Amino acid sequence: MSNDMSGRISWPAIFSGRLWTLLLVVMLTVAGAQTVAQAASHGMGSADSAEKRIAPVGRVQVEGQPLIEEAAAASAPEAPEPLAAPQPQRKDYPNIGVSSRAVVWIAAQMHLFFGALVLAVPLFVLVIELTGLVTKDERYDDMAHEFMKISLVGFSITAIFGGTLALALFLLYPDFMGYMMRVFGVQWLWYAALFFVESFFLYTYYYGWNALRYGNKKWVHLTLGLMLNAAGMTIMVLANSWATFMMAPSGVSETGVVTGSIWEIMKGPLWNPINLHRFIANIGFGGAVVGAYAAFKFLSTRDPKLRAHYDWMGYTSNFIAILAFLPLPFAGYWLMAEIYAYSQQMGITAMGGILAWLFIVQAVLIGTILLAGNFYLWSGMSRTEGSVRYQWMIKYIAVILVICFLTWMTPHTLILSAREISVLGGSHHHILGPLGIMPAKNIAVNLMLIVTFLSFQLYRRSDKVAVVPWASAANACMVAIYLVAIANIIFVGVYYGYFTNTVYKVGSSVIQVASTLVVIISGLVIDGFLYKGAKRLPSHWGQVSDRSQYALFALPIAFTWLMGLMGYVRSSVKTHWHVYTVMKDNSPDNFIPTIGYAGNMITLVTILFLLFVLFMFWIANLSSTRQTRPTTAEGGAVA
Amino acid sequence: MGDEKRMGLAGTLMVTLVVFAVVLAAFYGLDHLIMSIQGLPLNMDLSPAG
Repeated sequence: MSNDMSGRISWPAIFSGRLWTLLLVVMLTVAGAQTVAQAASHGMGSADSAEKRIAPVGRVQVEGQPLIEEAAAASAPEAPEPLAAPQPQRKDYPNIGVSSRAVVWIAAQMHLFFGALVLAVPLFVLVIELTGLVTKDERYDDMAHEFMKISLVGFSITAIFGGTLALALFLLYPDFMGYMMRVFGVQWLWYAALFFVESFFLYTYYYGWNALRYGNKKWVHLTLGLMLNAAGMTIMVLANSWATFMMAPSGVSETGVVTGSIWEIMKGPLWNPINLHRFIANIGFGGAVVGAYAAFKFLSTRDPKLRAHYDWMGYTSNFIAILAFLPLPFAGYWLMAEIYAYSQQMGITAMGGILAWLFIVQAVLIGTILLAGNFYLWSGMSRTEGSVRYQWMIKYIAVILVICFLTWMTPHTLILSAREISVLGGSHHHILGPLGIMPAKNIAVNLMLIVTFLSFQLYRRSDKVAVVPWASAANACMVAIYLVAIANIIFVGVYYGYFTNTVYKVGSSVIQVASTLVVIISGLVIDGFLYKGAKRLPSHWGQVSDRSQYALFALPIAFTWLMGLMGYVRSSVKTHWHVYTVMKDNSPDNFIPTIGYAGNMITLVTILFLLFVLFMFWIANLSSTRQTRPTTAEGGAVA
Repeated sequence: MGDEKRMGLAGTLMVTLVVFAVVLAAFYGLDHLIMSIQGLPLNMDLSPAG
């Protein structure tokens, strides 16, 4: 309010002052009313409104506008669709001038060969070391240590080829590898971490051998070996899950969207069959490779003591290889049965289509392995005079082996000209036709395994004489088991295989497998009791023919070629898919290579592997070679 | 595979026959068992019963 100097009230001034006061009051009133109205409209008057009025730390709201995060949510695009498997086109595959598949094939196969070797050797080394501890025979311990020495270089070579394979895959198949990275996620890091774990146990196990040799320290050493194997096996089953995911994907939708957990992705229908098959095959393969080392050392020395040592080492290696090999066909059966159960089309592609002929080649290779293994056992029987009791059986075993071998490799369908078909009266030969189908081959395979076990059993019995009073009864029992099992295998193979329906034909193959397993298990059990405390006949280690050692060279060659061949089959059944039915392979190599091409590739990787194995042997030999001290000539010159 | 201690002819024959009979019966039972587990029953003469 204002007054003029005369003391009179200036009404305009008063009016003016009151007006402003009034305006102020009205404005405040209106503003307050508006606020109350807004508050009422937002429910601030209700009991649960307090937490909405008090914004949490970090939440900022501009008057008259929604919360920032709500605004962001409103303006953001909808949640992205789950990512399907990429479908790369031909242009998306880098062209390096040579077949990408061939590059990956070589790197992968070499990595697998050496991986199989270095995973298998510590397994049986641990068993041999334990045997040495239980029997208190230090020869076992020394041999186990020497086996590890051979395979030590193999770990580095495995890692080198593993790195090469990974780089080749990322370079040549980027979309595919991107998808696999996305599907398996953090599992890749666990896989990498396991290499550190395995390396730790590998080096402590190998270099701690002599420091932890006796007493309780030996158990510490065995524990290190156990942990080494645990890490190695985990690495193997993780890597297997990638291969089986590509063949039979699980945990993803039809378009490749990840729908399951990592465990659901890993445990596809083929995972465990592959795990078992590779586990057994690796042991057989590892035994065969170190057997070749023993043969190489045996042949390269004239020292009787060393020859005796390497003869024994070769025998042990062959023992491991053949014993692991005997159940391998059954693991293969399980794998193929699961493949058929997952996709009949995939099974037919493998065994009834373009790849069917490879199973004939497989028969030849397995026949080679069994013939070589048997020949080595027969030759080895000459080490002991007690073998004369059993040598008469060898010719019968050989006849059965050869007949079964020929039956197994008999093809069902021949590649014939029109004229040959007319002369033959059809596409199937009237004799070879029945021998070309599975019932005949099942009989052949099982009989070959049984007589191979017989060779093995005779060899083991050669240097022993049972002293228990029930020896005759035990022998009668063993003979009865062999004869009845063989009769059973032939009976069910012929009767259900040719004279009943397909369901019974397939079901009867389980009887055959069981019969063979009964022979093997009962043979091991009966001999275990029969020869407990038996009289030992002298064995002359080192007195074995050089020819027998060449059988030890044949084993790893046939094993390697066989692994390469079956790897080609396993990978090819996916046909034109990176991940079967989920992610198509549109690269220039998206077809099953011809058998001739595959044969050349497999031969190439087999030769490469054997060259690296020779290098490995050389390195192992080099580490135990010591240069003789140079003699000092007169005048101080070194002679 | 014979070696070690010898028994009389009659004893050997008896043991052999008994052992063969037992083993034969065991494999016969094994065939029935394995096929029935797979849902493929057999008749007494081992022909398919399904």
